[in-house]
Amino acid sequence: MFATYGPMFLLLTVAALIALLFYTGATVLGPKNPTPDKMKPYECGSESSGGNHLKLSVKFYLTAILFVVFDIEAVFIYPWAVHFKTLGWTGLISMFSFLAVVIVALVYCVKKGALEWEK
Amino acid sequence: MNLFFALSPFLTLALGALLLMVAEAAAAGNGRGEKVRPGLALGAALTCFASCAAAAGVWFYGVERIEGLDVLQPWLIIDRFTLFFAGLLALGGGLASLLAGGYLPEHQIERGEFYALLLFSTLGALILAAAGDVLTLFLGLETMSLGVYALTAFRRASPRSAEAALKYFLLGSFAAALLLFGFALLYGATGHTDLAGLGQAVKTIASGALSGQAAGPTTLGAAAGPLVLFGFILVLAGLVFKVSAVPFHMWTPDAYEGAPTPATSFMAVAVKAGAFAVLLRVLLVCFGDKQSTSWANGWPAVIAWIAVLTMTVANLVAGRQESAKRMLAYSSIAHAGYLLVGVVATSRDGTAGTSGILFYLLGYTVATIGAFGGLILAGHRGAEAVSFEDLAGLGRRHPAAALPFALFLLSLAGVPPTAGFFGKWFILKAAMEGGFSVLTVVAFLNSVLGAYYYLKVLVYLYMREPGAGAPIATPMKSGYVNVALAVSAFFVVLIGLDPSRSLSVATRAAASLFGG
Repeated sequence: MFATYGPMFLLLTVAALIALLFYTGATVLGPKNPTPDKMKPYECGSESSGGNHLKLSVKFYLTAILFVVFDIEAVFIYPWAVHFKTLGWTGLISMFSFLAVVIVALVYCVKKGALEWEK
Repeated sequence: MNLFFALSPFLTLALGALLLMVAEAAAAGNGRGEKVRPGLALGAALTCFASCAAAAGVWFYGVERIEGLDVLQPWLIIDRFTLFFAGLLALGGGLASLLAGGYLPEHQIERGEFYALLLFSTLGALILAAAGDVLTLFLGLETMSLGVYALTAFRRASPRSAEAALKYFLLGSFAAALLLFGFALLYGATGHTDLAGLGQAVKTIASGALSGQAAGPTTLGAAAGPLVLFGFILVLAGLVFKVSAVPFHMWTPDAYEGAPTPATSFMAVAVKAGAFAVLLRVLLVCFGDKQSTSWANGWPAVIAWIAVLTMTVANLVAGRQESAKRMLAYSSIAHAGYLLVGVVATSRDGTAGTSGILFYLLGYTVATIGAFGGLILAGHRGAEAVSFEDLAGLGRRHPAAALPFALFLLSLAGVPPTAGFFGKWFILKAAMEGGFSVLTVVAFLNSVLGAYYYLKVLVYLYMREPGAGAPIATPMKSGYVNVALAVSAFFVVLIGLDPSRSLSVATRAAASLFGG
């Protein structure tokens, strides 16, 4: 087991060592001049005002999820396009039945009014 | 063409679900009109029954005679075992959509999405039962589960329904993650994702561990044994969650109670049957070697403990419930326990144990759908029957509504000559002949214990009167629910009167799992 994963453990150890080295190096060697303003969390920017829970319209969510769904589905077409000739008729039929399902989903979304921004 | 014929139970469901989705969207008109559309329930039910008929068609034609099924290897396995489950799951889905056709309009939550989700879930369960590879298994599981999560949340106005769905979703995703992680470990140890290949590799590793040599099929050597063990534990936890056995049962009562009743019946029937199909396949195909099926070193002892805990805890808690719906949820946990006794029995005589489980699932499916249907029928708009009190006096006032309900409860309790009695009989017989006598006695005592809370419902139905000022149960009127109850009652009585025919079907299905 060690023979297989040995190099990986070595990599992890080296990475941890380097991180530790830089971190302690900066703490030990770096100049320090703390002032009360510097020690505050979020020293930059202005004081926040108003509520911190902003309500977003659910329409954003719907649009985003539809984008993700159709985008991921489009990704499937790429490997088929690359191997179009080797996949032959089986590939063509599979891809068209897949596309038919996607189109049904699209028709469903349009009919349900999921793509209308203003009602 | 052969391929399309063999896959017809799946394709029917998929096409039907897509058509139903489009039809519903076209009729709804931009989702603004909230009119009642009775055609959808009928369409969903007919799709399911067509899928069931397709499975029966392939069964009677003889799946062995169909050539060219190698293309599907190892992703989908179309054998008699799969076809049995395809028919069973489609029947469950169809009956659940009939119940929905009555329940949803009555309680004013009729939305067309219900039927499409139900059909897609059923399709997922079918894929789950047919899966011959870990990847298709997971796809089927998620297709089934995602639909059911949404069905649980279907009563949008009820906080209870939302809570149930959230609990179910969170715990369900967690269980799915465990399952996936378990499969990842198994893949790491063996280099296989197909169940048959996994089984071969596990056999090699197990025999290597027994003789004290490092004989793993990968470079891992001796480390493969512990990896397989961890992988197995995680996979088992994930699957046991889906069949809702103790100690992974916590979500069941809440999810079952919060979901609309047709969705509950679907969960109790199809999700459970699909999970048992995959549990059997994983245990018997991946871990079917001598080492893994031995009492001392393998899974039978683990499953036996889970079974004993499941039956006892579920039966004790079920007896203390105030709500009949919650009681039925615990009852479904208890039934998972009896079925797990059958799973233990498969470690000695695979065919006898498996056929017992398949027979039991058949009787359980129709009786459970019927019991939830009886509960649906006992309520009406604004007054859903949930608690025992709601059912008081129904038997005297509306004997036609109470009689089928009583029949299904008797079948669940295992009273002869119903389907439930023979289901328990065959499972206990297989366990006894396998030499698990203590387990058999525990299961028998539990079924006596279980009879208590089923009879309690009968007492309320026939011997109690509602208290002063309490609402009097009035059954709803729905042709859909009546048809579902009639079909279920027909099967419960038929299987009970002539168990040998169903058993021979179950035995042929079980034998195909062992290459017979």
